[in-house]
Amino acid sequence: MALTFQQFLFYAFAAVLVGAALGVITARNPVHSVLYLVLAFFTSAALWLLMEAEFLALTLVLVYVGAVMVLFLFVVMMLDIDLAALRAGFTRYLPLGLVVAALIVWEMASVLGPARFGPGRVAAPAPHGAGYSNTKALGETLYTQHLYAFEVAALILLVAIVAAIALTLRRRPDTRRQDPARQVRVRRRDRVRLVRMAPERRPAPAASEPGGRTGTEEA
Amino acid sequence: MVPLSHYLILSAVLFCIAVAGVFLNRKNVIVLLMAIELMLLAVNTNFVAFSRYLGDTTGQVFVFFVLTVAAAEAAIGLAILVVLFRNRRSINVDDLDRMKG
Amino acid sequence: MIETIQSLWAAVPEPVQIPVLIVVKILVIVLPLMGAVAYLTFAERKIIGYIQVRIGPNRVGPRGWLQPIADAVKLLTKEIVLPANASRFLFLIAPVLAIGPALAAWAVVPFDEGLLLADIDAALLYVLALTSLAVYGIIIAGWASNSKYALLGAMRSAAQMVAYEIAMGFALVGVLMVGDSLNLREIVLRQAGSPLHWFVWPLLPLFVVYFVSGVAETNRAPFDVAEGESEIVAGFHVEYSGIAFGVFFLAEYANMILISTLASLMFLGGWLSPFEGWAPESWFAVPVLGTLLASGIHWLLAKTAFFLFCFLWFRATFPRYRYDQIMRLGWKVFLPLTIVWLFVEGLAQYFRIGPWFA
Repeated sequence: MALTFQQFLFYAFAAVLVGAALGVITARNPVHSVLYLVLAFFTSAALWLLMEAEFLALTLVLVYVGAVMVLFLFVVMMLDIDLAALRAGFTRYLPLGLVVAALIVWEMASVLGPARFGPGRVAAPAPHGAGYSNTKALGETLYTQHLYAFEVAALILLVAIVAAIALTLRRRPDTRRQDPARQVRVRRRDRVRLVRMAPERRPAPAASEPGGRTGTEEA
Repeated sequence: MVPLSHYLILSAVLFCIAVAGVFLNRKNVIVLLMAIELMLLAVNTNFVAFSRYLGDTTGQVFVFFVLTVAAAEAAIGLAILVVLFRNRRSINVDDLDRMKG
Repeated sequence: MIETIQSLWAAVPEPVQIPVLIVVKILVIVLPLMGAVAYLTFAERKIIGYIQVRIGPNRVGPRGWLQPIADAVKLLTKEIVLPANASRFLFLIAPVLAIGPALAAWAVVPFDEGLLLADIDAALLYVLALTSLAVYGIIIAGWASNSKYALLGAMRSAAQMVAYEIAMGFALVGVLMVGDSLNLREIVLRQAGSPLHWFVWPLLPLFVVYFVSGVAETNRAPFDVAEGESEIVAGFHVEYSGIAFGVFFLAEYANMILISTLASLMFLGGWLSPFEGWAPESWFAVPVLGTLLASGIHWLLAKTAFFLFCFLWFRATFPRYRYDQIMRLGWKVFLPLTIVWLFVEGLAQYFRIGPWFA
């Protein structure tokens, strides 16, 4: 059976995706994990493009790869983590993890396999014509049937912003900062005082009294 | 054309890798968060596949909401992580057994 | 000659024809772009030179015109030094990650009516998604270098890019609200009529926000704290030398050209002529001048060149921002400004005000 171009792309991307996912959970360094996850998101976006969901695919790249993963990278690079302690127990749980994962794969594959969702059961949809706009179709559903949910989602994002800022905001007592308003408000009379005083006579060079220090004396 | 079952099995495999990741990296909060993101990605791929093959846009709308909530979750999760690290100097799950701040 | 080529081309099987055609199209876009980048560096040195009452490079070739080629040869022949304990793979792939998105975004840029590589539906979103990837090259370069200065530069750059990405995205939301489409070609065509129809007028605040965010996104002066040679040596690319450094350089300038082109497409009517709509018909009938006055790719190039000049002008004029000032500008000024203007725009659209929102 010859692979069509689309099938070839699917299997290539699927292989990369699985490899990247394995990289996420096995990489020694969390930074590498994050980068593998970026690869996984990017590959998934390509897979979604294959399914003609271009709006979501591009949103995935924009929101996840462009923003959320940058945040992850930022945090991972900033924190000074003791890697050895975190890796402890990795091999101990390896067999258990593998067994559970294999079990779930087997269960899901037997339910989701070709017997129920194969080409015979679910017919492959025809590709959309040139006039079809995925963005428009999504927008038409989103702003009519799901308007209420859309507004709730906006609220969730707002709460998330407030929560994230409230959690991480801290006022350090030891930081010194300038207050431009106060700097501008300063008047000359607050800082400088001009005094009128009579001219002083320079003390005699031959200093006889013990307390009389002159400016030229070396300490 | 790629049959629907292939997409479903791919996301099943992805989901299970993420589950295995939770088992393997029980101590590292960051990797745990990333494993959750992977699970959500698998779920989203499923939604997109069903939406495409059943010809119903609602599936994609659902993905839209999952992305929103997951982004919020990631932001708050990372914020908690940073606060945690500030207070404990560690992100090991085993060190998180004290309720006192 | 042409017939031989045509007959040879017809003999090529179709599965080969399509990729070859695409590669040729890509080269037609990328090669002039690389040339433009090379001479943009030359223009930068010359223009800043004249602004500072110097002559600028004038030794290589007549009036210094071969300077960029000499620079390229120098960079190509220098050694790439791998720092000790650097993450080898990531260190080498970072420049590629920096330039990849900068070039890939050009796939959807329309140069003239019907003159573009891919006329996709969600072009604006595609551009936004790809420009948001540019930060990876910088972060990975900074981290993989295993150097304090590089990491500091990468951290600054990451925070800055995320901050300005949002303002930029909101500015583009404003464009798509007026343009009624995510397709760049349609957005340009929506501005047809006269220079008054250009989106720069109804979206003036968003235009300013977009362009300033663009300067910040490309890490150009006065927002170049990621490099900040007086504070952290050269930021994320301290450890890079030879052509690996050259590729970062290339990516920065390609991004500048991209931002300028997008600004002229979305706000200044792209390839549309400013003489459209008000100049009498007889002007366009003049043999050569008429073609120049009519809409065409040369107007897009002229508008892009103007924005590029602004980039260089900014660099020669403004002192570098302090880092906290950059953050304040992004989060506390641009973000509220764009949100308010989107609200105003929504109201204007609801009440159908002016020629733009009808």
